[in-house]
Amino acid sequence: MGTTKKISGKAMGYVILIGLVILSWAIFKILTPHNFGSFSNMLNYFQASLIATVGAVGFYFVMVMGMFDFSIGANIMLSAIVGCVFATRFNLGYFGLIAGCIITGAIVGTLNGLFYVKLRIPSMIVTTGLALIYESVANYIAGGVEQTLPSNLRAFGQMPGDIILALVACAVAYIFLNYTKIGTYTYAIGSDEFVAKNMGINVNKYKVLAFILSGAFLGVMAILTISYGSSMVAVTGMASMSRNFIPTMGCFFGLAFKKYGMPLPAIIIGEFVINIIFFGFIALGAPTAIQDVITGLALLIIITVTTKATKGEIVK
Amino acid sequence: MSEVRLQVKNLCKNFGITKAVQNVSFNVNKGEVHALIGENGSGKSTLTNMLTGIYSIGSGTFILDGKEIHPKNQVEANNEGVSIIVQELGTLSGLTVAENIFLGHEDQFVHFGIKNTNAMNKKATELLKKYGFDRIKAADMIDNYNFEDRKLVEIVKATYFDPKVVVIDETTTALSQEGREELYKHMERIRKSGNTVIFISHDLPEILDKSDTITILRDGVYIDTVKSKDVTEEDLKKLMVGREVTGDYYRSDYGEKVSDEVVLSVKNVTVPGLIENVSFDLHKGEILGFGGLSESGMHEIGKAVFGASYDREGAVTLADGTQINSIPTAIKNSIAYTSKDRDNESVVLNQSIGDNICLPSLDELAGKSHILRDKKRKEFADKYAKQMSVKMVDVNQFVSNLSGGNKQKVVLARWIGKDSDIVVLDSPTRGIDIKVKQDIYQLMNQMRKNGKSIIMISEELMELIGMCDRIIIMKDGKVSGQLDRNKDLNENSLISMMV
Amino acid sequence: MGSQVSVKTNDKEQQLKKASKMSLIRSLLPIVGLVVIFLLFNVLTDFRMMGNLSLVFSQIYVTMIAAMGVFFIMTMGGLDFSQGSILGISSIVVCMLSQKSIPLAIIGGIVSGAAIGALNGYFYVFRKIKSFIVTICTMFLFRGFIKYLTTNAPVAGSAKLINYDSTELKIACTVVILLIGFVAFRYTKFGTYLKAIGAGEKAAMFSGIRTDKMKFLIYVLAGAITGFAAFINVIKVGSVTSSGGNQLETQILIALVLGGMPISGGAKVRFENIIVGSLLYVVLNSGLTMMGFSTQMMQLIQGIVFLIFVAVFADRESIQVIK
Repeated sequence: MGTTKKISGKAMGYVILIGLVILSWAIFKILTPHNFGSFSNMLNYFQASLIATVGAVGFYFVMVMGMFDFSIGANIMLSAIVGCVFATRFNLGYFGLIAGCIITGAIVGTLNGLFYVKLRIPSMIVTTGLALIYESVANYIAGGVEQTLPSNLRAFGQMPGDIILALVACAVAYIFLNYTKIGTYTYAIGSDEFVAKNMGINVNKYKVLAFILSGAFLGVMAILTISYGSSMVAVTGMASMSRNFIPTMGCFFGLAFKKYGMPLPAIIIGEFVINIIFFGFIALGAPTAIQDVITGLALLIIITVTTKATKGEIVK
Repeated sequence: MSEVRLQVKNLCKNFGITKAVQNVSFNVNKGEVHALIGENGSGKSTLTNMLTGIYSIGSGTFILDGKEIHPKNQVEANNEGVSIIVQELGTLSGLTVAENIFLGHEDQFVHFGIKNTNAMNKKATELLKKYGFDRIKAADMIDNYNFEDRKLVEIVKATYFDPKVVVIDETTTALSQEGREELYKHMERIRKSGNTVIFISHDLPEILDKSDTITILRDGVYIDTVKSKDVTEEDLKKLMVGREVTGDYYRSDYGEKVSDEVVLSVKNVTVPGLIENVSFDLHKGEILGFGGLSESGMHEIGKAVFGASYDREGAVTLADGTQINSIPTAIKNSIAYTSKDRDNESVVLNQSIGDNICLPSLDELAGKSHILRDKKRKEFADKYAKQMSVKMVDVNQFVSNLSGGNKQKVVLARWIGKDSDIVVLDSPTRGIDIKVKQDIYQLMNQMRKNGKSIIMISEELMELIGMCDRIIIMKDGKVSGQLDRNKDLNENSLISMMV
Repeated sequence: MGSQVSVKTNDKEQQLKKASKMSLIRSLLPIVGLVVIFLLFNVLTDFRMMGNLSLVFSQIYVTMIAAMGVFFIMTMGGLDFSQGSILGISSIVVCMLSQKSIPLAIIGGIVSGAAIGALNGYFYVFRKIKSFIVTICTMFLFRGFIKYLTTNAPVAGSAKLINYDSTELKIACTVVILLIGFVAFRYTKFGTYLKAIGAGEKAAMFSGIRTDKMKFLIYVLAGAITGFAAFINVIKVGSVTSSGGNQLETQILIALVLGGMPISGGAKVRFENIIVGSLLYVVLNSGLTMMGFSTQMMQLIQGIVFLIFVAVFADRESIQVIK
């Protein structure tokens, strides 16, 4: 009986998500029938959504434990710039791009985790402070110049490179989550840190590991980002924060559908839905400035819908 | 048969200034069910938590089969052959049944970093089958099961590897009769296999029936170890409380008539999922008790009267017709409340004693000008802290490093400062030592004589019998009986209405 | 036994002594830091800072006023990252309305700030979403509006606004607002209630504080205060660009932390945190600028100093699980 319930739960989750895809597609298709929503359009939207999906599946490990990361954007920026520098200035080609991005991402994740665990300060505050530092480091490395990835190194910016990389990343995340101790302990710590600690789980170690994993996935997202957009500017003044939003939104999808036992598919489809809506607005001719409004509002709505407000619960 | 399995030697543990366990030594034999009894706060759970690695050992040693052990967490304890079934929920949501059973012991299923989930589920299924819990499926999320089934999973988790010592910490109170039988069966199995069960329970008949040996603790001190067949319930009680229960401990009066004047009337109050259709009147100068199991809904009664329940239906009305629907209204109309969850709902832990005492009285202290003066606040706080004889350096000290008893005194000082007429006390003596308990009982008696009305909610039946003019017993969210103050009242008459 | 007891109390007294010593250090460190940094930069810049004091202070008014609202929010244990966008939107409203009348512009600024604060408060208090998530969403959302409204050209205010740009007025406004805030926080139940909510919200509720109402109103208040700060901002700059108010939230957060405010709020906050923190922040910033550091370098130093101060002032005892 238990298993049938679980299967139907999963099916239920897919029905809701695919329903959302169809609904968002239908709304914009009706509004702008001509320049939106053909099959090739949809494929493009899906490819674009994969960028954030990769970051979101990594960030999910951190979010499930109940922590937060404000340095996502700064991490992506720094990783992309380091990867680009490795690939071009040091002439390391694709190897430089991939290794540079992923290693930088993982180092940033390690720093986030270590500072959080050692200083014993709320993670969002630590990562806010560190984001300031990462931004300025990125700026130094870039030397204040836009870093452009040469066109012969942009295989991950188009089919099938981007899809392969994203699929590999999601598969790795799936394995970590379901077939390693890290996955089990991630959920255990997220459920009740005290009990987990009593069970002999080295809570701090696994928190740092979650940040490292998240960082490495954001490194992969950096590869996709710079390959897709071809260049990266090192901004300062916390402007990198705007890159936080889209991966975070996907994560909230994952958290909301955790109870159906399908967090990763929920992140993938969720990011797709978000992108359909974005491109829908673009097709409608909404000015670019308004996109930020939509992003902020969309995140707020997603969280509001996915959060169950329990009476008497203390939220800070 | 009487070979020693576990030696407890000179064990101590302090929490801040509270001495939870003081120099306790005793032996536990192989193949026995060894009960550990004592009133709340006597140190039973602290002791077993040290044995199983949940707390660190203060000082002293545990010697298991001749080898000293000092586990740092439950997994280390398991590897030494010791396990525990805790009082609260010991399983983690968001994990499957199998993951919960093997939490911390996954390495047997991990090859080259990859966890073999199928092998794990298979082993868990076999175990569940062996225990006769077939209806629980290993691959299911633990969230799909209720409290009782989750406890059964904990039994598997704690005993599948044949540990030498299994601690069962007040697990039975939360279980239905069926669940209890299941647990007894496994206790017996462990005992027969030559291993040992350390059994903690408040239910003395259960203790006498199921255990071979009984060790009594009181206020963190070792009192005695006795054979179950040599003692009666009365003997145990005497050992636990430590003296003849005399008149000055509880109230000594009997037969005093309670005023007919109703100060507060509760009509058809329902809180979904917690209490159902509860009605009663509180009289002037009365101590009205509420008893029951901790899940019986009685704790919600206090909140409902104080206007703190969510989604409450029905009416709580004062003598003058005022409806109490929110906490500020309740306080304004001279109702006070101390919660069972003292650290979260009664004291503001990380604030000074002074601010804690002044908090509900700030309007009065500020007066018409709305300006608060430090001097006035300090005087007010000092006055009531001294009246309650709170042990402190000064009122600027933070509440967080006070003992449980002193925290409770701060809460009471707050409401005495407010001069409340109706006082709702939920588990007022929980985790408090005997000296402070006596102070609180005397204070309650004094308040009663001054015409204040008290609602006392408690899991300790003795104090209900000793203090109340009237006791209402709750069961499954409903009132299941009512008893008047009477010299001949005993715990059994209450228990029969509770379960 | 007797000696054991006395040893025990000695231990406890020593512990308390140590604790009070720590709290003394915590309360003095920001002030000492301020004096030291001020002197240091004066020496390093050949006392140019002393000479340019009014220029240095010209940056402080908006930050200090807006920081007071955030201070109240953080005392309750919440956070607000939307302050920059509130300042931007309110500044635009002030500019637009200043064409009609200046008093109307001031009121308009306050009302629009309060409205955004109310939006924050609604999602935080009644939908139970973590405050930092709500406020980064609204930050981004209203930043989008600011960009949209300034797409073609900056929103210019009335020329009359310049008449108000006097140091005396700005100082007077800042002092009056801080003074009101100080009296309310220190000498009325308002401050004690806020601290109680930060130190233990449930217990505060059971002591009769209407916590939800209080939390909501504080967000509205913080918005309104920043809405007023928009007026001070506009008389200085005269118009609003797409970056209007950018970064204010980070500045405030850094300033409060530099002032010695524990990030989790509660009973250990002091009103002085606002003043000392804002001063420290501005002195540090202008000092570094005067010494010719680049923006990146300044941001790097800011980040490091921020982390050090957060680590020093974090009130770890009162948060059981740090997430």
